Amino acid sequence: MNNFADGRLAVNIGDIYLKNPVIMCSGTFGSGLEYNEIYETQIIGAVVTKSFSLKPMEGNKPPRLCETSSGLLNSIGLQNEGIEFFIQDQLPFVKKLKISPILSILGTSSLEFAELASKIIKIEHELIAVELNLSCPNVNKGGITLGSIPDSVEEVTSIVRKTLNIPVIVKLSPNNDNLIEIAKRAKSGGAACVSLINTLIGMAIDINTFKPKLGNVIGGLSGPAIKPVALAKIFSLYKAEVLPIIGMGGIFSWEDAIEFMLAGASAVGLGTVNFVEYDAAINIINGLIDFISKNNLNNISDITGKVKAGQ
Amino acid sequence: MKALKGEIISNDKISENIYKMTVFSPYMVKHCIPGQFVNIKCSESTVYDPLLRRPFSIYDVEEGFKVFSILYLIKGKGTKYLKSLEPGDVIDFLGPLGNGIKVDDKSDKKYLLIGGGMGVAPLFYLAKSLILKKNNVFLAAGFKDNKFIFFEKAIQLLKINYQFFSEDGSHGAKGIVTDFLNNHIDEYRDYTIYSCGPSEMLKSLKEIFLRNNIKNKAYALFEEIMACGIGVCKGCVIKTIDKDNKYIYKTVCKDGPLFELKEVVFE
Repeated sequence: MNNFADGRLAVNIGDIYLKNPVIMCSGTFGSGLEYNEIYETQIIGAVVTKSFSLKPMEGNKPPRLCETSSGLLNSIGLQNEGIEFFIQDQLPFVKKLKISPILSILGTSSLEFAELASKIIKIEHELIAVELNLSCPNVNKGGITLGSIPDSVEEVTSIVRKTLNIPVIVKLSPNNDNLIEIAKRAKSGGAACVSLINTLIGMAIDINTFKPKLGNVIGGLSGPAIKPVALAKIFSLYKAEVLPIIGMGGIFSWEDAIEFMLAGASAVGLGTVNFVEYDAAINIINGLIDFISKNNLNNISDITGKVKAGQ
Repeated sequence: MKALKGEIISNDKISENIYKMTVFSPYMVKHCIPGQFVNIKCSESTVYDPLLRRPFSIYDVEEGFKVFSILYLIKGKGTKYLKSLEPGDVIDFLGPLGNGIKVDDKSDKKYLLIGGGMGVAPLFYLAKSLILKKNNVFLAAGFKDNKFIFFEKAIQLLKINYQFFSEDGSHGAKGIVTDFLNNHIDEYRDYTIYSCGPSEMLKSLKEIFLRNNIKNKAYALFEEIMACGIGVCKGCVIKTIDKDNKYIYKTVCKDGPLFELKEVVFE
């Protein structure tokens, strides 16, 4: 247990302090309660919860999953029980299990985000941060629709930031061509850092029925298949020196995690790997400790952005 | 539920394209119940194609040997990988998963089990558990052809009553299991019903039970493409309807795979 709190793993991402740089991505780990049956999820740097909306959302029509070569297409559509469910039913257990929660929230307008933020005030001292889901490709309102408009990103970030006293993270999409502009506006709104990347929009078709393999027609692609795209996006945003980055997109091993940090990530998010290697976080944290020792680093953050590209 | 590793005791072809794998796992034997499943990694440890684990229902448990077994049909990369494994190899799996069927300690109840194709797999373990508690079990199952003769041999050892059907008449009576049920439903009015098979079969069963005003409990085990297997990703949902006529998507992996047929909405 002590290993996972090795001081050399501790990182600051903007004003967010984490005991280690391994984070669980929203939608792939619940609120950490289910996985706690498999291992003690308190070892993880932070668990970003499934995105919660003001009211429960039923999600998209199935089928919602389709496996592609080394990738996973999903069109879940943010099925969730609503923010009150997190506050009343899950948070007490999250606290009891000493999980470090980052609460992911989803609104369809800045007004809804404001309302969500006001509901969070009473529990904000229990949270490491909130993450604004401004990049889900599987909903008609909110998500990427809101997150692709620079003005909306700044407005939403600013509203939440002003309502709460905890850091705000903005989760960004790789599907927009104005990534750096969006990140800058998140910064203007007061974001502490950004999470990058959400899933890539994708599609699969059944050649026997001529029907799309997902009930929602299109979905978001994750898994090892998207890792190179994620690295390139992180590298480009890091070079632009906008905000610290939590890097994610197909990380399956500690070697992948190191790559993301070299590209510019201050912390790394594990997503799809949670479905495949249940204890991935343990192996990755241990791998990072070994890497630190082997390379005589004072802290894992020493390698952030240290890729030798064109120098 | 636990992330487990288990040594393969046997991995044999038992029919055309169908294999039975037996795995040593005292934990599973101690904790699993009929209708539950395991989520197996179907590739070498650091290979991620196929990416997702594959869910398999528990076919049998032999307490004395501390083993459980699964049946699998060779379909794609995942099952081809499973086929390549040999006794002594170790598989990586999570289990037992899903709600499953708690077999009552009270005996002398009547159960009707209805299976279609590979859907018979979990019914073997269920039938065996029910018989152990001295219940009355009748199994009706339908197949396309005669690939499931092995299953009849296994069922015979349980000494239960059964009737099998095949579409081509090569195994049991010629016909489909839902027609049989439609014609004989009155004989089973006081039976608790468990079914597992293709979605069209389950849909027909629901219609037969509704049409005949069957009041006793009728359940079905469902199957969907899954990712996490433990209820967090919400990927493997089916549409259900609650008492207030409200539609809810429920996860097959955690809310199920066992559902009451009347709550499932077939589309």
